[in-house]
Amino acid sequence: MIVEYQAGHGILHRAHPFTNLTLVGSVAVLAFVLPAPGGPLVLGAALVTLAIAAGLVRILLPAAVVVAPFWGFLLLIHGLLGGEPLRALTFGGRIGTMVLGFLMLLVTIHPARLVDALVARRVPFAFAYLLSATLQAVPRLRDRGRQILEAQRCRGLRVRGSLFRRIGAIVPLTVPLVLGALAEVDDRAMALESRGGGRAVRRTPLDPPVDTMADRSARWVMAVGTLVAVLLQVLK
Amino acid sequence: MSVLLDRLTFRYSGGLEPALSDVCAEFRPREVTLVTGQLGAGCSTLLLAIAGLAPRSTGGDREGEVLTLGHDPASPVGTAALAGRIGLLFPTPWTQLSGMAFTVWDEVAFGPANLGWERGRIAQAVVQALALLDVNHLAGRDPRSLSGGELQRVMLAAVVAMEPSVCLLDEPVQELDPEGARAVYDLLPRLADQGTVILASTDIDRAITVTDRIVVMERGHLVADGAPDDVLATAHVVRSGLSTTIATLGHRAGCPGPFPLTVEAAVARYSL
Repeated sequence: MIVEYQAGHGILHRAHPFTNLTLVGSVAVLAFVLPAPGGPLVLGAALVTLAIAAGLVRILLPAAVVVAPFWGFLLLIHGLLGGEPLRALTFGGRIGTMVLGFLMLLVTIHPARLVDALVARRVPFAFAYLLSATLQAVPRLRDRGRQILEAQRCRGLRVRGSLFRRIGAIVPLTVPLVLGALAEVDDRAMALESRGGGRAVRRTPLDPPVDTMADRSARWVMAVGTLVAVLLQVLK
Repeated sequence: MSVLLDRLTFRYSGGLEPALSDVCAEFRPREVTLVTGQLGAGCSTLLLAIAGLAPRSTGGDREGEVLTLGHDPASPVGTAALAGRIGLLFPTPWTQLSGMAFTVWDEVAFGPANLGWERGRIAQAVVQALALLDVNHLAGRDPRSLSGGELQRVMLAAVVAMEPSVCLLDEPVQELDPEGARAVYDLLPRLADQGTVILASTDIDRAITVTDRIVVMERGHLVADGAPDDVLATAHVVRSGLSTTIATLGHRAGCPGPFPLTVEAAVARYSL
């Protein structure tokens, strides 16, 4: 599944990272404040259109795979059993919109560009690095999980078969994953410090992204539009 | 004096035995020193203490004095004063990746950028470091796509690019093939021209060819310190398994000590 940066030349890849962050932030807020169920669904459709226009068709399927279980439960609980299909549509629209927005963010912002953009705005490097590391946490854990799975298979662990066998395989997979991740945190902290990461001097942005007038205008439009939607919802 | 250790004792949190015990040593500029010992002897911890990461990052208790370039590296003042002046290469290069680099070039530039250097100076340092390690051809690659050996050389280039006065290298050739290891060892005297190089390794056979001095550690204690011929050629050290293959061969063959350490020395000694 695609959960990390993918090289590309679409509109979102070219945009300043702050523009993409603003887009996702606005989407997350609007999904809740726009009138339901139409608002979240229209927002989701707009995001899908933007994803297609930005050359991100390949993330639509992974997004659908992530939200499908939620939609299934919502349909079952609110739609079939609860008799509230509109509520199921509302929640489903919100979840789908936010998942798609976050995936679009992950695949279009390279951590180096994000850090350079933040550092260029005099954001402390430690904060920028933390934000960047957070975006990379999922792919790193996924890669490590694959390695552990292969290693445990080589040692005879069976991960297929009956439900009991699959449950029994969880412990030998998750314990090394968690312990390894914790140990790696120490190693990475030391490595970062030895490479000047904890220094008080401002880091030199190697290739700060250009913040165009179009980027700044788009951010203002999204921010003001979101604020207006929130105010309308509060005053209603 | 680049590094001074005076009665250094270090104990990790929860550790029953100290990882370093009463260690006294001096490391001078323009010198390549090999620190070696059996697994768990304290070689890596010694490097971390010199860098100040033990106890600052590792936790634990330190007693005695550590002065690196005249500063206590674990103190806040020392940390600020020594930032960028100590280069440390870890034995696991993949944990040293910044995670924020499009390319190997960016990865090598990560440290100098953190030091706030101007872009021109960063570019110059990166180009020189890549050339020194003979990894120019990797400059445009994604660091995550490199093999273990390539990555180890790139991470060493990243250390070199920061132009440190003290280079601490923990098993720098662990991932390398013999040819790559040879290239790294050949580089060490050139690094020593600009400062002090302290190498922790069990690869004694190859490291011996470039080291001026050997420090032998055993269960946290410094048990021998001196020129390679003085330290490694004795029957006691050879028996402990901490000498070169050639010396061990001479010992097993019943030759009288002190034993030659290298092929060249053996040829000179025994050829008719």
